[in-house]
Formats: sequence, C-alpha cells, structure tokens
Amino acid sequence: MEYNKPLPKLNADSKPFWSGCREHELRFQKCNKCGLIRWPPSIICPKCHSRDVQWIVASGRGKVYSFVVYHIAYQPAFKDDLPYTVAIVELEEGPHLLTNIVNCSPDDVSCDMPVKVMWDDVTEEFSLPKFEPA
Amino acid sequence: MLDAGLCNYVVISYGHNAFSSDSMMKMLMDFGGDDGVFGQFGAASGYAMAARRAMHTFHTGPETWKHIAVGERKWANLNPRAMMYKRKMTFEDYYNSRPLVEPFRLYDNCLMTDGGRAIVITTEERARDLKHRPAVIMGMGQHNTATAVNYSTHLAGPTGAKKSGEMALSMAEITLDDIDACEIYDCFTYTVEINLQSYGFFGPGEGEDWLKGGTIEPGGRMPLNTSGGQLSEAYFMGLTSLSEAAMQLMGRCGDRQLGPETNTKAPEIILCSDSGGVSRCHSSFILRRG
Ligand SMILES: [Zn+2]
Repeated sequence: MEYNKPLPKLNADSKPFWSGCREHELRFQKCNKCGLIRWPPSIICPKCHSRDVQWIVASGRGKVYSFVVYHIAYQPAFKDDLPYTVAIVELEEGPHLLTNIVNCSPDDVSCDMPVKVMWDDVTEEFSLPKFEPA
Repeated sequence: MLDAGLCNYVVISYGHNAFSSDSMMKMLMDFGGDDGVFGQFGAASGYAMAARRAMHTFHTGPETWKHIAVGERKWANLNPRAMMYKRKMTFEDYYNSRPLVEPFRLYDNCLMTDGGRAIVITTEERARDLKHRPAVIMGMGQHNTATAVNYSTHLAGPTGAKKSGEMALSMAEITLDDIDACEIYDCFTYTVEINLQSYGFFGPGEGEDWLKGGTIEPGGRMPLNTSGGQLSEAYFMGLTSLSEAAMQLMGRCGDRQLGPETNTKAPEIILCSDSGGVSRCHSSFILRRG
C-alpha cells in the first residue's frame, strides 16, 4: 500500500540525520569546540558559534518531555491512527526530538516516562524514529 | 513617527475571511516544517504541548481553564458583535466539549472569524480635538524568547510576558496593582493563564484559586477579555485585545461597559497583550483613559 502521510523534506543540513535513520541510527551533530550535541542540524554551533563539528550516534534512550493526543485528523491519512500521541522526547544526549509514542495507549503516556527508539520503515527511502516505553 | 512629525495618523488594521475560507488552516498547516511527518499540525499542537508540560510542572489543567472559557463567554453574551453573543456556556458545557488536541477541548480553542478591526493612533495633542475622548498609550514592552516549542527546555514558562510586562510597567511608572482590567491574547485558554502568571498576577499553579469565583467575569475584581476575547468574540490577532481596551477606556462598550453597568470598577488603566509563534514573541501595552 502506498504511504500517503507527509515525508521529511531533505536539505543539506538534515540529510545526514535522515540517512542515519535509514540505517536505524539516530545521528546528531556534536560541536568539537564546546561539546554541545545539537538539534536541529545547523552549520554553526548555537552556543559557541564554532563550525567545527562531528556526527555522533545517540543511544536512542530518553524520556517524554511533553506530549499531546490527537482526536482529530487534520490530514485524512492520520484518520485510522486516532487517537494518536505526538511527543517531544528528551534524549539522554540532550536534544529534544518531535516524534510519536507507539506501542502504548495514549492514556498510559506521561511526562518524564522513559522511552526508547523503534524504527518505522515507512518507504524505501525513509525510516522514522518513533519511541515506545523503555 | 508621530512624535518625530513624520506622519499625523497611523492606522493599524487586520482583516481576514478565516471562517469562510481555508486560508487560515492552510497557513497553520504549512508553518510546521517536518512536524507533519509525525502528524503534528496547526497552532493547537504547540500550545497543547506547552500546556501539557505546564500540567506536569505546576497545578493547572481543565479545572483552571474552564474559568477562562466560561468567564470570557459571559462577556461575549453582553456583546452583540461577538460570534458567541447568543450562546451561553456552563462549566458542564466546557467539560462536555469534545477533545481535539489533548489536553485541549473544543472550548479551549479560539474562534476563526470573517471580519476585521482597525485602530487609529495619533498624538495626544491632535487627539484632544477628536469626537471621542482618547485612550492614551502609557507604556509598552516587547520580549521575544525565540525558542521554538520543539526545542524549548522551558516550555512551562515564563513567557515573554514577564520581561515585556516589566518593560511596559516601568515605562508607565505603575505596578500591577494599578491595573483595572486586562485584555490578553487568548488563542487558547491556557495562553491566558500562562501569560497572567508570567506577568505576576499569581504564582505558578495558583491560577485556579485566582480565577475561581468569577474574578475575570462581569462583576469580578479583574475583568478580562471584556468583548468575549478571541475565544468568544472574534479572532483578529492583537487587535481583538487592543481595540477592546481602547473602546472600554473611551466608554463606548454598551452593555459590557466596565463601570456601574457591569458592577465593575470604571477603568483608568488597562493592560493588553499580544503574542505570536507559540509564545516565541510577546508584546505588552498599557493604556489609560485620556
Ligand atoms: Zn559549540
């Protein structure tokens, strides 16, 4: 069946992240000068303005920083998922990542709940990092 | 510009057919970048995310927000121009309204409106000769916390209301105790709570206690969003609040006029706010009776 939900729009900054996802790795930029692990990707460090950067692989563990539960499908493709949970996950390494909480009833999700990454291989090109209870 | 003599009158206007067209929804659906990949759409999403983190951080939630939804509706019921003029709302109606993007229910969300609003600003000297007694700008302040919801590590506030409020109060040379009424940007019920809290009207989690007993309603000690606000009158961005504050100070509000008509204090000073980009930017204005 054809995947009919929105897909990430790639640009030079975000491409390494999504390529990593295809390999089931959460890749983030780490500043070689001040050590900040940052998200979203950018050419300079938002903390120290250094351009010196490397990509690291995150553990995939974190906790729910906040979440919302949709009872309305603003796009028809999400109708069958209702009610579904969108969350901001705070990764162990620091970055906050917008994602879905899956394999868990929306009623059982709470802030600061420990979660771990799982991979939703939605197309040939894209795997989406989603999270489930750890 | 007015003080420098570059112009004599400035019109600030807003108009939109947001209710009868899909342009507002389209705009809201498009500004989320890749958020749609995970089904995150619209303005409610970001504010609901902030509200949920607030519920985890201090005492808040529907039991607090119902006072804002119902209080504003009571003002709208006195305002023939309000979209919700003829529709009453009880706490029970609030709780029974359907969940949209939890923790928000339908009645936590503002309206979409076809219409417009405009205000005219000029110098005090020119205003003296006009037909209506003017409202005078005493102070203003702006603060942009700038961090987007998805990356914010202070999602439970305070918002830019804190610093922009301090700026506006300092410029006006008054304190919060001098404020007689508030016209607060209210895209959602929670927006009102977090901004009142950030201004310092109450401490974190004390909103329910502060609001209960009709504090912001007709007859209350701090009338708020006296046209019905964006929740119950009409959504005209910052002009819903600014125009209502000016009209109240001019004494042009009919059945909802602050003063003896609504068993409230006749206002000398009103605080107004506007915010945008899911609490990324915030403006405060303090107006007084001219
Ligand atoms: Zn750095």
